Amino acid sequence: MTQFTKVLIANRGEIALRVIRTLREMGIKSVAVYSEADRTSMHVREADEAVCIGPAPARGSYLDRNAIISAALNTGAQAIHPGYGFLSENSDFSKAASDAGLTFIGPRPEAIELLGYKSTARALATSHGVPITPGTRDCVGKDFEKEAAKVGYPLMIKAAAGGGGKGMRIVREPSQLKHELHMAQNEARASFSDDGVYFERYVERPRHVEIQIAADQHGNVVAFPERDCSVQRRHQKLVEESPSSAVNHGLRQKLAAAAINLVKASKYYGVGTVEFLLDRDGNYYFMEVNTRLQVEHPVTELVTGMDLVREQIIIAQGGELTVTPEKALKIYGHAIEHRINAEDPDRSFAPCPGMVTEWCVPGGPGVRVDTHVYEGYIIPSYYDSLMAKLILWAPTRELAMQRGLRALGEFHVGGVKTTIPFHQKILQNAEFMSGQVDTGLISRMAEAELASAARK
Amino acid sequence: MDMNTVGEITKWIKETDLAEVVYRKNGQGFEIRTEDAPLKAALPSCSYSPVASPAVGIYRSADAGKTRKFGEGTLVHPGDELGYVEVLSEKKPVAASSKGYIRIIAVEDGKPVQYGQPLFFLELA
Repeated sequence: MTQFTKVLIANRGEIALRVIRTLREMGIKSVAVYSEADRTSMHVREADEAVCIGPAPARGSYLDRNAIISAALNTGAQAIHPGYGFLSENSDFSKAASDAGLTFIGPRPEAIELLGYKSTARALATSHGVPITPGTRDCVGKDFEKEAAKVGYPLMIKAAAGGGGKGMRIVREPSQLKHELHMAQNEARASFSDDGVYFERYVERPRHVEIQIAADQHGNVVAFPERDCSVQRRHQKLVEESPSSAVNHGLRQKLAAAAINLVKASKYYGVGTVEFLLDRDGNYYFMEVNTRLQVEHPVTELVTGMDLVREQIIIAQGGELTVTPEKALKIYGHAIEHRINAEDPDRSFAPCPGMVTEWCVPGGPGVRVDTHVYEGYIIPSYYDSLMAKLILWAPTRELAMQRGLRALGEFHVGGVKTTIPFHQKILQNAEFMSGQVDTGLISRMAEAELASAARK
Repeated sequence: MDMNTVGEITKWIKETDLAEVVYRKNGQGFEIRTEDAPLKAALPSCSYSPVASPAVGIYRSADAGKTRKFGEGTLVHPGDELGYVEVLSEKKPVAASSKGYIRIIAVEDGKPVQYGQPLFFLELA
């Protein structure tokens, strides 16, 4: 087992700071890298060393593989922690780091490719008995009616070349199929000059539930309690919690077993997240694997008492997991995370870069704030708008929500608009309070607000 | 649009690092441009003009076995190469930014350098 003495963090913002904290606790020196726009960032200040690697746009700095590896070699770091986003799921980067004699704190390049690409991961899931949303394998042809019956209704027509909702139609009854298919094909042809479409079962009002896993290089694999990330706005998670109100002990065991199954099949090591869609009858469908640390990892840390970054480093050093599978699935209380973004919720969440003139963060029992922001900090417009993660822990969900309202009320930010008021609305929303959330909650909340504004 | 709004917008832009904001009304749309940060050295102002490192890597004044072609007092022109920065196997030339005499050499051969680090100072000519 190798022992790192210095680790470079190939990231910025709150996650770079998060990693530095664990490194310091482990007695490992940290090297921050930064772009010219981040010279005054907190991660630069808190690291033991800092290296400027390029200009503000990420492609010349945080996405520049050679610059980052060069910085690691210059400073004598033995390993690179990629954080999330940027190069964290880039198998070429992982390989280039190893080629330069550095340890990439994450999965092997082959495992990133196998699990990180949706199509290969879905094929692996199917061959290991993990359910995926039923659908046609290829584009539909003349026998589309038969194919549709096989998939079942409601179904979704999706453009093979597509993305961004173009060529996507929901069909609820066989009688609508022909018409909607025609429409979808026209739309797909217009958008992608390719009218190939396929069918997928449409999961109505689904929940997004995910299982955090950790696996070492000795074949030990553990799954942690699920996170529920159903509160999303355009696939962007806003609130995450653990455990999920829709998952009971039996279902948890099944999800954990499915996740462990996939991880073992791909000989994956590192931490990772297996994402599932959950329908209202408790059926679950595998979606994808994130082969990195997630933004929302702290909720798992709070209900399990684990430090997932520490596990990542131990795994990369060739050590063994510090937790057994039985202990890993134990849940202590309830945790909820609120992503506080520099965005204006009243202007469809437009990013709001600028100077933070007031910054008072909440504290007290059960409150964790992961942030890189300070008073006087200028939020650059080049990167994402995440300012802070407010994570609450309490013995029950109800108490965690009360604590959330209390903490959000103590959170004072000046100079930029934030999503704090929006989170306060979520915590007072009847659906959210009852635990009956699904991925459509935010758009329903927005519609309700528009309707009430129109009445006034 | 009234002048107060223009004033508000101007004030706001100063707080951001945006270089240009274009707004159209009925044809819809928005256009925001951020300036790609220019290559400038991380130093307070100085009567000499710095030449900054173009990358993070190892500074080399010349290829192995070759002699360097400049020293203190050399007159350089914009674009003249003052050695290069080795980034893994790639060579990124250090180019003089202005016409001037090399007055200070702030880097040692074979030493690690950062992006934007001043390597030379020129007295403008």
